Amino acid sequence: MTAVENVISTRDLRKSFRAKGGGRKGGGRKGGGGRKGEGGRVEAVRGISIDVRRGEVFGFLGPNGAGKTTTLRMLTTLLPIGSGTATVAGFDVARQPKQVRQRIGYVSQLGGADELATGRENLILQGRLYGAPLAEVAPRAAELAGLLDLGEFADRRVSTYSGGQRRRLDIALGIVHQPQVLFLDEPTTGLDPQSRANLWDHIRALRERGTTVFLTTHYLDEADVLCDRLMIMDHGQVVAEGTPRALKQQVAGDAIVITLRPGEHGTENAVPVLAGEPYVRELAASDGQVRLYVDDGGTALPQLIRVLDGRGIGIRSISMSEPTLDDVFLRQTGRSLREEGADGDGAAGSEAKEVAA
Amino acid sequence: MKTAWDVGLLFRRYLTQLLRNPVWVIVGFSTPILYLALFTPLLRHLAGSGGLPTGNVLDLFLPGILSLLAYASGIGPGFSTIFELKAGVIERFRVTPASRFAILIGPILASMLMMLVFDAVVVAVGAGFGFSVHWAGLVVLAVLLGLLMVTVAAWSIATALITKEISGFAAIANGINLPILLLAGVLLPISLGPAWMRVIAHFNPLYYLVQASRVLAGGTLSGTAVWQAFAVLVPLCLLVLTWATRVFRTAVA
Repeated sequence: MTAVENVISTRDLRKSFRAKGGGRKGGGRKGGGGRKGEGGRVEAVRGISIDVRRGEVFGFLGPNGAGKTTTLRMLTTLLPIGSGTATVAGFDVARQPKQVRQRIGYVSQLGGADELATGRENLILQGRLYGAPLAEVAPRAAELAGLLDLGEFADRRVSTYSGGQRRRLDIALGIVHQPQVLFLDEPTTGLDPQSRANLWDHIRALRERGTTVFLTTHYLDEADVLCDRLMIMDHGQVVAEGTPRALKQQVAGDAIVITLRPGEHGTENAVPVLAGEPYVRELAASDGQVRLYVDDGGTALPQLIRVLDGRGIGIRSISMSEPTLDDVFLRQTGRSLREEGADGDGAAGSEAKEVAA
Repeated sequence: MKTAWDVGLLFRRYLTQLLRNPVWVIVGFSTPILYLALFTPLLRHLAGSGGLPTGNVLDLFLPGILSLLAYASGIGPGFSTIFELKAGVIERFRVTPASRFAILIGPILASMLMMLVFDAVVVAVGAGFGFSVHWAGLVVLAVLLGLLMVTVAAWSIATALITKEISGFAAIANGINLPILLLAGVLLPISLGPAWMRVIAHFNPLYYLVQASRVLAGGTLSGTAVWQAFAVLVPLCLLVLTWATRVFRTAVA
C-alpha cells in the first residue's frame, strides 16, 4: 500500500553532471556542493531515498548546491533521472512522465509567469494547458485569485506586481489543476519578512485543503516553522531526517556559545579544559568561539564560568539557547548553515542562473 | 488532438506577447521598409550593368528582401527562447502535460504570421514603386518563405536551448549571419561572384529560397529553381523540427 500512503517515493536516486570549467569557483554546477567523481563528473545527488506521505509538508533543507534543486527537477520530470527509481503520485517518473505531470504542480525559483499578461490570463492559459475547457478554467482562476489574495491585481499585468504578489501568482499557477503534490523550490527566497510570513500561511492553507507540499529551502526558520517532516541535505546526500522536533532532540540538551577574549590563545587553551568536563557532550571551536552542548544549560553555565575563570581564560560573552536545526546541521557536517547562508546570498543568484540553464 | 489544442493555445499566447511589445512591432515593420527605401536608390543605376538584368530593380531586389525577412524572422524566436529560459517560462510549460512539439511550434507559427503580415506590407509598398506583382507566384513564394522561416526558427530555438546563455547564442547567430546572407545572394545575385562562391552557395539553404523567390516573383511557377527549393527545404524543415523537438524533450537541463 506504499503507493497510496506515499505520494513521493524514491530509492537511491542519483544524478551526476559533466564538470564544466574545472578551475571555476564552485567547480561547475551550482555553488560547488557536488562531489567530483570519476572522469570529471560532478555527483550532484548521491543516493537519496525519500518517502513523502499524503497531506504533509515535506522539506529539503540544505545549503546552496546541496543537490536540492537537482532532486526536485528529477522528481518533476524536468531532468532525466541518473539512476535509482522515483514514483510520484503513483506513477514512475522515468517511464510515465505524462501521468506524473498531470498530477503535480511545480513552482521554480524563477516562477515563470508571463510579464506582459495579466494574472488572470496567466492562470487561464495554465489551466487550459492541463486540458481543461475555458468554461471550467475561468471560474477556477477567479477562485484562485481569491484564495491567494490576488483579487484586485488579477486583471493587471504581472510586470506591475510586487515580489510577494508575484510569488502568490506563481503558486496559484502551480495549483490551477488541483495537483496531488505541489513542488516549491525556495518559495520565499528574496521576499521581505512580512511577505514570507504571509506565504507560509498560504502554504499551510494548501495543506489544510489536502495538497501534499514538497519544498526546498536554505532557511532554518522556514524549515522549522513550516515542515511536518524534513530532510537535511549536504553534498548530495541526506545527513538527517525527521520532524523538526525530533531532529532538534537529537542534539540533546542546550547549546552554549562562549566567546573568548581575543588575543590570548583563548580557544586553544579552553578546548582541552572544556572537553574534560563530564557534562559537556559535544564541542566545536571556531576562531574565538567555542560552541558546546550540555544536558542542562542552567546548571552547566556557572560551572563553565568557574572552570574557565580558574584557568585564567578570559570570557567576553556567553549565551545559551535551545538547539536549532542549525545545530543539527552543524553536528552532522561540522559547518554552520548560517555561514553558508550568509555567503550564499551571492551564490543564490548564481544558483538561480544555473536553474534557468 | 491534444497537440493541436496546445499548439493553438501557445500560438495565441506568443502572438499576444508579440503584439503587446510595441517596440518589437515598430522595429519589425520599419526594418524591411528601411531596406527598400535605402537600397533601392543605390541599386537603381545597377540595372542592366554588370550582368544584372534590365528592368525595374525592385523585381530583382524585393524577393531578396522577403527572403532576408524570412531568415531574420526565424532567428528572432531563438532570442526570445533565451529570455524565456531565464524567466522560467519554458520550465513552467515543460512541467505541464503540454505537447513538447506544441511548445516548440506555437511560437514559431505566431512569428510566421507576423512575418507574412510584414511581407504583405513590403509587397504593397514595393508595388507603389513599380514592383510588378504576380499573385500566383507570390502565393507559392509565401509557402517557401514559411518553410525556410520554420526551419531557421526551429534551429535557432534548439540552439538557444543548448547554449542557454545570450552570449553564446548571439555569437553563433551573428557568426553565421554574414556568410549565410552573402552566400545566398540575398541583396545582390550570387551570379556576380566567382565560381567557388557559386559552388559554396549550393550548401546554403537560403540560396535555394532566394533563387526560387526571383523566379516566382517574376510570375514563373514551374522553374527548376522552384522545384529545387521545395526539394531542399521540405526535408530540411522536417529534419530540423524533429531534432528541435528532441532537444526540447531532453537537453533542457
